[in-house]
Amino acid sequence: MQAAQRWVLLAYRLPREPSTPRIALWRRLRQLGAVQLLDGLVGLPLDAHTREQLEWLAEGIQEAGGGATIWLAEPAGRGHGDALVDEVRTDRSAEFRAVAAAAERAWEEAPMTRRRTLARLRRELRRIRARDYFGAPGRAEAEAAVEALAAAIEVDA
Amino acid sequence: MKWATRAGCHVDRAACAWLIRRWLDPEAQFIFVDDPADVPQDATPFDMRGAALSHREGRCSFETFLVHYELADPVLAEVGRIVHEADLADERYDAPEAPGLDALIRGLALVRGDPEVLAITGSLFDGLYELLRQRPSPPELSMSP
Repeated sequence: MQAAQRWVLLAYRLPREPSTPRIALWRRLRQLGAVQLLDGLVGLPLDAHTREQLEWLAEGIQEAGGGATIWLAEPAGRGHGDALVDEVRTDRSAEFRAVAAAAERAWEEAPMTRRRTLARLRRELRRIRARDYFGAPGRAEAEAAVEALAAAIEVDA
Repeated sequence: MKWATRAGCHVDRAACAWLIRRWLDPEAQFIFVDDPADVPQDATPFDMRGAALSHREGRCSFETFLVHYELADPVLAEVGRIVHEADLADERYDAPEAPGLDALIRGLALVRGDPEVLAITGSLFDGLYELLRQRPSPPELSMSP
């Protein structure tokens, strides 16, 4: 049997005001592709990088007057773990599909605009790939759509 | 002096070690530990939970060193922005060098141990510093119309 996916969890509470630290935390968790298990409990697939990032966030929460603890966990039942993995994959797939759709729409744009769109989509793809922990479906399609746009721009130039 | 940090060095710790050796303590000895509780009494911890020389207020540890030791060199500040983005990738700065630096050091750490990673990245950071130092600097913002 395949070993269960292990997770690093951040349990936290943060005062509602001021809102700046809360917003910064949410923004960072979204960048990392964290899943929300409960209010004040988020998780990422465990590796040295994700663990370290959540540890720094925990420190930041304490600096902001909140409380935070870090846990290493594995699901007691396979179903719980699978559901979490599915959630991460579904979220990433939606992001990849959005990039592919934007790349297809960009064919309608004027050449200068299209060039800027290409640069933006490449950056966006890089961000999504960095949090694509389980090889979500749609990645290859998104990459192909963006690179097709790049090739078209070269032909135009 | 003795300096302690977590084992498994990546870009931020490698950059801090370079900064320590080159700018603060040429005789620095580095100790690698797995837990903050294992830091020897006579060692200064960095880039670890609970250490003063660590991530603070959104800064990476390297940037915290610059603030703590009042290193005002603008070239070091630029190195700091690159290290920040290579470590955190939170897009606080525009640092196109960062993803490449991240990949190189991440890969190096897969095939070499910490002392060797620090030795090799020491040369890398020497070179990065020199490159940025020699880069023509833009003229000061002009206040006249």
